[in-house]
Amino acid sequence: MGKSVLVVDDSSVIRAFLRGYLAGEEGVEVREAVNGEEAVEAHRSSRADLIFLDLTMPVMDGVTALGLLREMDPSVYVVVVTADIQPRSIERVLSMGAKSVLKKPPVKAQVLEAYHTYLASTGSAP
Amino acid sequence: MSAPEATLRPEEQELLQEIMNIAFGQAAADLAEMVDIFVVLSIPEVRLIQAEVLPAFLAEAMPGQDRISLVEQGFWGQFKGHGYLLLPSGATRELVSLLGNADLDATPGLPLKDLEMETLLEVGNILIGACVGKLAELLEDTVSYAPPRVAQEYAHGEIHMQDLWEPGSTAIVLKTLFRFSGRNVSGLLFLVTNQDSLQWLRKALAGFLGRYA
Repeated sequence: MGKSVLVVDDSSVIRAFLRGYLAGEEGVEVREAVNGEEAVEAHRSSRADLIFLDLTMPVMDGVTALGLLREMDPSVYVVVVTADIQPRSIERVLSMGAKSVLKKPPVKAQVLEAYHTYLASTGSAP
Repeated sequence: MSAPEATLRPEEQELLQEIMNIAFGQAAADLAEMVDIFVVLSIPEVRLIQAEVLPAFLAEAMPGQDRISLVEQGFWGQFKGHGYLLLPSGATRELVSLLGNADLDATPGLPLKDLEMETLLEVGNILIGACVGKLAELLEDTVSYAPPRVAQEYAHGEIHMQDLWEPGSTAIVLKTLFRFSGRNVSGLLFLVTNQDSLQWLRKALAGFLGRYA
């Protein structure tokens, strides 16, 4: 069964990296959002199985979006991809329910590992 | 031979902005490792402006501040230029307490002014060094640094940075605003390079894309 992945970042460069990394995975449908507000709306209109979420974004930042997403959908699976690698930032998003944190620039192996970890958590790993 | 075009394409500017975002994130993490502080990051901005208008640009970037404290540090490699940390001059006492000298009047050895200068220098060195270092690493460059310098109590009109560049040259400004959470300190970090670095920068950005895309 196909998986819906939502990539949330204000940088088109990072969105393109993530989209490209996931392109080789079977049955993945990638959608994009450019800020937290768009991410919340996108998830509300069509639930994403996995969300890659940036933190520092205009309009609505990733921390606020994570809170709203978790409130709306407590089982939402979020992987944070961020340049903000301060320990407090990482601890905060993990305590809010993010599954893991990848530091920017995201590398293919780590993104695919996060995706496969998600698949394994659902029992649908290849 | 005609001079290289002093501009970056929009996609190059966006990529540079993201790289600056990553670099400043590293700088904030390095500072957080040293002191118990949380840096609230903002989205960086990349601008190409004439060197002559830099002081006005800075005044606009820090509105309502008559006087500022400034740390300047030169760097050179393939990517070369200057890093600047700007803080409202009143923020230096707050910084001193951040670095563990909470009881200012009881700090032996150094007069407060000297202590403030030392603290500014230290914070500037960490933020500029880590930011430039990460940026250079991402673009596969190695840079060397000049010792940082502190210019405290600098009025905007007194900033004479244009002598660092040829008249009419273009400065590539990578700017990020930041705030220390829970503290009344916010500032501005920016890097300025010139068109001598532009051709290399373009190639380096293409190389970065090639490695990650």
